[in-house]
Amino acid sequence: METMFDAFIGGLLINLQLRPFMFMLIGCAIGFWVGILPGLGGSTTLALMLPFIYKMTPQEAFPFLLGMHSVCATTGDITSVLFGIPGEATTVATIVDGYPMAKKGEAGRALGAVLMSSLIGALFGACYLAFTIPIVRPLVLAFGSPEMFMLIILGLTCISTLSGHGKRGLLLGMMAGGFGLLCSLVGQDRQAGILRFTFGQLYLWNGLSMVPVMVGLFAIPEIVDLAVRGTAIAGNVSFGKLGKGVREGIIDTFRHFWLTVRCSLLGSLIGTLPGLGGGVAQWVAYAHATQSAKNDEERAGFGKGDIRGVLGPGAANNSKEGAGLIPTVAFGIPAGAGMAILMGAFFLLGLVPGPDMLTKHLTLTYSMVWTIVLANVIVVVVCLLFINHLAKLTTIRGNLMIPVILLLCFVGAYCSDNHIGDLIVLLIFGGIGYFMVRFRWPRPPFILGFILGKLAETYLYSSSTRYGAAWLYRPKVIILILIAAGFALYPFIQKRFRKEDLGEPDKI
Amino acid sequence: MNRTRFNGKNLMNLCLIGVSTGVIISAIKWPLKTALFPLVISISVLLMTTAELLMSLFGKEEGAKKGAAIDFKFSEDIDKTIVLRRTLTIFSWIVGFFFLIVIFGFSIGVALFVFLYLKIQGREKWGISIIMTFASWFFFWGLFIWLLNTPMMEGWLFGWLRAIGIE
Repeated sequence: METMFDAFIGGLLINLQLRPFMFMLIGCAIGFWVGILPGLGGSTTLALMLPFIYKMTPQEAFPFLLGMHSVCATTGDITSVLFGIPGEATTVATIVDGYPMAKKGEAGRALGAVLMSSLIGALFGACYLAFTIPIVRPLVLAFGSPEMFMLIILGLTCISTLSGHGKRGLLLGMMAGGFGLLCSLVGQDRQAGILRFTFGQLYLWNGLSMVPVMVGLFAIPEIVDLAVRGTAIAGNVSFGKLGKGVREGIIDTFRHFWLTVRCSLLGSLIGTLPGLGGGVAQWVAYAHATQSAKNDEERAGFGKGDIRGVLGPGAANNSKEGAGLIPTVAFGIPAGAGMAILMGAFFLLGLVPGPDMLTKHLTLTYSMVWTIVLANVIVVVVCLLFINHLAKLTTIRGNLMIPVILLLCFVGAYCSDNHIGDLIVLLIFGGIGYFMVRFRWPRPPFILGFILGKLAETYLYSSSTRYGAAWLYRPKVIILILIAAGFALYPFIQKRFRKEDLGEPDKI
Repeated sequence: MNRTRFNGKNLMNLCLIGVSTGVIISAIKWPLKTALFPLVISISVLLMTTAELLMSLFGKEEGAKKGAAIDFKFSEDIDKTIVLRRTLTIFSWIVGFFFLIVIFGFSIGVALFVFLYLKIQGREKWGISIIMTFASWFFFWGLFIWLLNTPMMEGWLFGWLRAIGIE
């Protein structure tokens, strides 16, 4: 215990030394802009920064890399709220309620809430990392392919149920999720190497790139709406005193403190499981936030600017950062793309992820915890200081904003594979996104299905090859099936309860 | 008594029915390990979409309205003709930007698009248009080309010029 405490304090002292601290600040500054700019992902930048760590010690390299990576999701939320474009792949869910708030002139409140919830999420994730390393091992090892497959189905069911109203909403959500899964089929299949729906195009062999799909689906409809309205993003609404809105947003975080904490916990749990990552965590947290609505009327407010829809994803996409380090550091199993690249950094620095990181290099492991804490505190304070200037961007005339936003969309999408196909995918999914919004199909289940499709296929294949149909009878699988069924039946159960509450069985 | 209704939403359902049917037909030809997942998904999607289409055509209209997504919603307080005109205009600009990039490459396409959009669509003053164009181009070039060294598309025009001997 004493060793753990010494390592904990030692980790902080490492970060407070001049050179590691300076490298962390440089990392934070890079991460700040990478997060704000759409298309420039945290993982890509992490990869770009790897060559710079050759001459650094591990005590300098990790504050630099982690400082950069851990603040991307925080500042990515800013772009999502202000412009309706995902700054990061992990900040898409913030758009759903954050952008409508910006349109209503509540950009300051949304930013205050998202930054504060991000900070709480990051701190929660760091604490989670610090305290759960010794106990999380059995959880990760207990989840085999069948459980992971069912976890994906559970995630999809959960988001489908909660992204629409009533039974028809559930059906639309499931259809959108299924459509996302179908889109993920494009490319060379992992089992037999057969090309599926590539139409003779080499570009499609690796499947559809995530960035152009997401930017198209989420940014293009928002740009169309901005052009149709012909006003600034915040319309003709006057901001008044923005600082008041920011304070309101911060207070909102504490007003819904337990929701923020629960979403942070969800983000951490999902972040711990390899392969799922922030793409899933944000939507599950969003779904959980919509669940906090007490009735249909309150739930109808989600998607139109409910503060809880901003708090949930904001907390989850930051808390998963710390949690994602657990399987990476402790077992050498990267939780996601970013962590896989970070694992490369371990090897470059002569470290091997695994038990050594929990014994011999425990101080360094705890310095990573402190990096996440310090980097997020610094960036959130800086953001709050400049928030007025950031939020005022939404009052700039639409005609001036549209070409710049389109430029970011096109360049961001193109940077995914540096191929013209990225731009075509952007246009196609921009059109699909437009029609989905127009005909009220929920986009979140689509994105979740698309992100998880390849992983789900691999898990389904591994499960059926290894266990035949017997994987369906595994106890943990049955529990997950029951939970998924519970979510699917939620609209029916909810309606039934409401009838009993009101005692008017035929009127609702 | 409900009337049979056919609208854009049903057309989307029909498209998804077409896509899932296409996947099923393709998957039948593949070995089981490749076809398993596509078949499971496409059959489920086909069943759900058919059910939704039937409910949408013959079911209660209120049910469809209640089932709307919790997601971003287009502004509704604008005249439909204006909405249609402006939607077509912005889509034309988006597609136009794509062709500018394809023909002139990113470096010229970006500057050309920003300037043309501001001057023609935005009817901005010359000064603002030129400053914004320069700022956007400088941001693009400085960050993506100079700093990150991202290989950007050159544009077909330069290929054509080379083909006729102009370097």
